[in-house]
Amino acid sequence: MRPRFPVAIAASTGACALALGVAAPAMAAPSAEQETAMVSVVHGIPGMTVDVYANGDELLAGFEPGTVTEPQSLTAGSYDIQIFEAGQGPDGKPALEKTVEVGEGDAATIAAHLSADGKPQLTAFADDVSKVDAGKGRLTVRHIAAAPAVDVRAGGQPVFTGLTNPNGDSAVVDAGTVDADVVLAGTDTVAIGPAEVNVAEGAGTVVYAWGSAEDKNLALATQKFSGMDSMPKGVHAGGGGAAVSANSTTWTPGWAAAGGAVAVAGVLAARRFAGKRG
Amino acid sequence: MTVAVLVAVTAVVLGVLGWARGPQRAGSPSDFGAAPSATAAGDAGRPSGTAPPPSAAEPAAVRQAVPARVLVPGVGLDARVEGVGVTPRGDMTVPDDPAVAGWYRYGPAPGSPEGSAVLVGHLDGETGDLGEFAALRDVRAGDTVEVRRDGAEPVLHRVTARSTVPKDELPASAFRRTGPPVLTLITCAPPFQPERGGYTANLVVTAEPVDDPQAP
Repeated sequence: MRPRFPVAIAASTGACALALGVAAPAMAAPSAEQETAMVSVVHGIPGMTVDVYANGDELLAGFEPGTVTEPQSLTAGSYDIQIFEAGQGPDGKPALEKTVEVGEGDAATIAAHLSADGKPQLTAFADDVSKVDAGKGRLTVRHIAAAPAVDVRAGGQPVFTGLTNPNGDSAVVDAGTVDADVVLAGTDTVAIGPAEVNVAEGAGTVVYAWGSAEDKNLALATQKFSGMDSMPKGVHAGGGGAAVSANSTTWTPGWAAAGGAVAVAGVLAARRFAGKRG
Repeated sequence: MTVAVLVAVTAVVLGVLGWARGPQRAGSPSDFGAAPSATAAGDAGRPSGTAPPPSAAEPAAVRQAVPARVLVPGVGLDARVEGVGVTPRGDMTVPDDPAVAGWYRYGPAPGSPEGSAVLVGHLDGETGDLGEFAALRDVRAGDTVEVRRDGAEPVLHRVTARSTVPKDELPASAFRRTGPPVLTLITCAPPFQPERGGYTANLVVTAEPVDDPQAP
């Protein structure tokens, strides 16, 4: 079942301070941006469908293990996050509870997951959504599984090593598809995978290792953040100079001569141009 | 800023001279229209999450129709298009063959509902031949730009602006991935300074989609 995050937020507008226009591009307005944070939720506890509450209001209902919500805008502030087994909230005893502070402009992901020794817990990760160079993507891995330290390999080569629960690591890499697997740290013993991971250009790709080694249900979940793209450094679309006179500041005369005064204006512009650059 | 002023002055001169668009397209290249603004770089401040739905919706977007050919009949430009990315140095890749145009495949495709679809082509080759995109020097406001696509109807655009900018001042808005849809055609422009590696300016032509392909 798909998380009802947007719906739930819209419904709770009157009850609390949670909501601002969800997913509205207008969020880019500086004032709104300063007051809000982008929050995602990942569920990595096997076998338990949950409802998620924030400050007593339902955020997500029927949230299935292995799913990740899209980033949502929340007013910056302090949130009492409660995780209930589906249908048990909000008056019952939460399975998990944690107060999470999200500051203005923050991007964060709240993970409900198992600790290394298999106990359910909540962890808040800071999401790096800063720009990457053209042609690149940011690949992040997070260990939220009941499992010992692991290495993450791409194409058989360790990229992230010695990763422990509940920690992550990140690198900016060439965009494209990588063949990834997770091995027990320092070994070739494959714990998860191999799996194809698409590192999108100008975006963040976060891969979670979740589940339990003991219960043999380790798996990967993937989260995406867009809008980190940068323009290329330059566009060099010239060759040997056939389109201009030798060492010229303007187009080949044959092209420009017919323009009269217009051509003169163009030449002046070009000369000023050259002068400015010099 | 100086450039912008000069462009404006040039435009005034053109107006005073009552320069009309001639059938032979005589006349020198002059910039026109509103240059791509630097403001779209403001996307930079956008929290990532407010972008179009990040992951789940992506497969549909990825299957956008790929451009195959670009034509500007008014200036005789007709080039095959291939997808390009960036070089190891981080510059946009430009097809070696000056007869071929490159589409920046990391950005929107022509016909996308949002953002600037970028096509690039060499102004001239290393062996003395002119590139197809050399014809852009002669475009006029209102010229039709047709992009034929694999597996989809062609999309038509009308040229709205042409600007010449130093290469290191190419506006980020030319590569924006959100905002109103435009087609951006880029090549090189004089000054040509071999000691500085050749051309030191970019010619940027902006065209907006035509809502009604049947319109004259």
